[in-house]
Amino acid sequence: MNPAYFEFQNAVKLLCGQDALERIPDELRHMEAEKPLLLTDAVLLRLGIVKKVHDVMQAEGCVPAALFTDIPVDSSLSVVNRIVAFYREHECDAIVAVGGGSVIDSAKGARLVLSQERDDILSISGMENLHCGRHIPFIVVPTTAGTGSECTGVAVIRNDEQAVKMEFLSPFVEPDVAVLDARMTQRLPARATASTGVDALCHAIEASTCLQSNPLSSAYSMAAIKLISTNLLRATRCGSDIDARLAMSIAATMAGIAFSNSMVGAVHAIGHALGGVCHVPHAEAMGILLPHVLNFNLPVAADGYARILPEMVGWDRAAVIPSSQRGCSLVQAVRELLIQLHECAGIPLRLLEVGVTESQLVRVAETAVNDGALIVNPRAMSVEQIVNVLREAL
Amino acid sequence: MTRLLQKIVVAIALRLLHAALVELQLLDCTMAQELQKLPKGMSFAIHTGHKAPALTVRWDGRRLQRVIEAGYAAQCTLRIKALAISFRLFTGQMGLAHAYAQHALTVAGEIANVMRLARLVNRAEAYLFPPFISHRILPELPKLEVSPIRVYARIVFGFLKSTYS
Repeated sequence: MNPAYFEFQNAVKLLCGQDALERIPDELRHMEAEKPLLLTDAVLLRLGIVKKVHDVMQAEGCVPAALFTDIPVDSSLSVVNRIVAFYREHECDAIVAVGGGSVIDSAKGARLVLSQERDDILSISGMENLHCGRHIPFIVVPTTAGTGSECTGVAVIRNDEQAVKMEFLSPFVEPDVAVLDARMTQRLPARATASTGVDALCHAIEASTCLQSNPLSSAYSMAAIKLISTNLLRATRCGSDIDARLAMSIAATMAGIAFSNSMVGAVHAIGHALGGVCHVPHAEAMGILLPHVLNFNLPVAADGYARILPEMVGWDRAAVIPSSQRGCSLVQAVRELLIQLHECAGIPLRLLEVGVTESQLVRVAETAVNDGALIVNPRAMSVEQIVNVLREAL
Repeated sequence: MTRLLQKIVVAIALRLLHAALVELQLLDCTMAQELQKLPKGMSFAIHTGHKAPALTVRWDGRRLQRVIEAGYAAQCTLRIKALAISFRLFTGQMGLAHAYAQHALTVAGEIANVMRLARLVNRAEAYLFPPFISHRILPELPKLEVSPIRVYARIVFGFLKSTYS
């Protein structure tokens, strides 16, 4: 059945595949940008990944006006405000963000503040409440295949004072251009490859089964799930497999487009809280929580899960499973994939492995219940129910 | 239905919602606990469309006061995109979660506060609407702690005493 009403937007231009990086200067020229700010983090700088981007830009006559690398793994509102000040100080006219979710979301936040001509990101918090503002050319080069942030209309940024992750939702958060180049993810360690891939899987599953799901977002979700189920283990086991790497990048972007248009659900709501309260890395939280939340949602989402199953395990395998058991089988298939990733890359399967203790669970649940992603979860969740899910995952 | 009639219905629904929240704070433990978690001074505004009724409330630590001061800037403003949508929302044709899912709302302020407001409104609606409507619009039917008739009786009495002005 079609939803009574839905919206779908994706205005991001995708540069994907061979020599994608080399096309960045041309894109900047089209947007009349001459002094881009290159945003990244210290690790990527040390690994020489940023140098690749810098060099291709320089070779094509587009030298970054400034480089900002002081972005931590878990970026915060204060980091965003510092980027804004840095951008103005160096009189930049565009942003090129090279990194994972933290770098990209910080860049999105800074771009939003700059386009709204403000100083503090907190002054523009909200959902779909902003006007377009001034256009700041914005290119994103993801170095992981998971967040999908290169194509989404949301930035998730930590509020240190409140120990929560805040969501800034606006269509004007979307970058102008996203660059998917396998050279950027090739050196990603196996564990990060696996956990970020699971994050993408989580985006796709939640986007296709939450209350905001729509036919277009579901189409992106299903295609993403198919790509992930075929390529995640390959990319994790053999990092140099360019084809699998690029497939995972495409999958993450498609899952990002899906959830940007239909939101996510309880896995993300609880995952954000785990990040805010216990500093659990987002992607690892997703992998730990996913099977437990799927199991919780099963009584109301079994049909949706059944539709996903063939993409996850293949039509041949799904066809022999009775339709009444397909929802349950999806949960089992996700568990099997996570166990395989645990065995080959060491991703955590329990909250205890990432340092979460029983005493923190209530606080996590009380934070999660106020997360915007929870409102579209297919099944309502109380604090007590979230605590139960967390206990199962402990 | 004419726009004027929609405005009248929405205006009444907003007043009824505020009255229900005030009364349920005294009658329903879950509601009282939820309200007690709000930071003192927290304010919410609900705008229902262009030149349409609005409701602004402020939690003073003891009671959810209606703010009638013109131009008051609430900490969290929930703006419904059109009066027609507000009408459906406040007449039990659509729940808040579905309105959110249909991009019918914009929020200025922290989204966490909208979640708090959503829980309060959902619980109030469970009392105000008959079960067959609540069942359709709420994500889950909460267990009611008192009879809805008692809530309505107190609301009528409250309006007669001008408690909610």
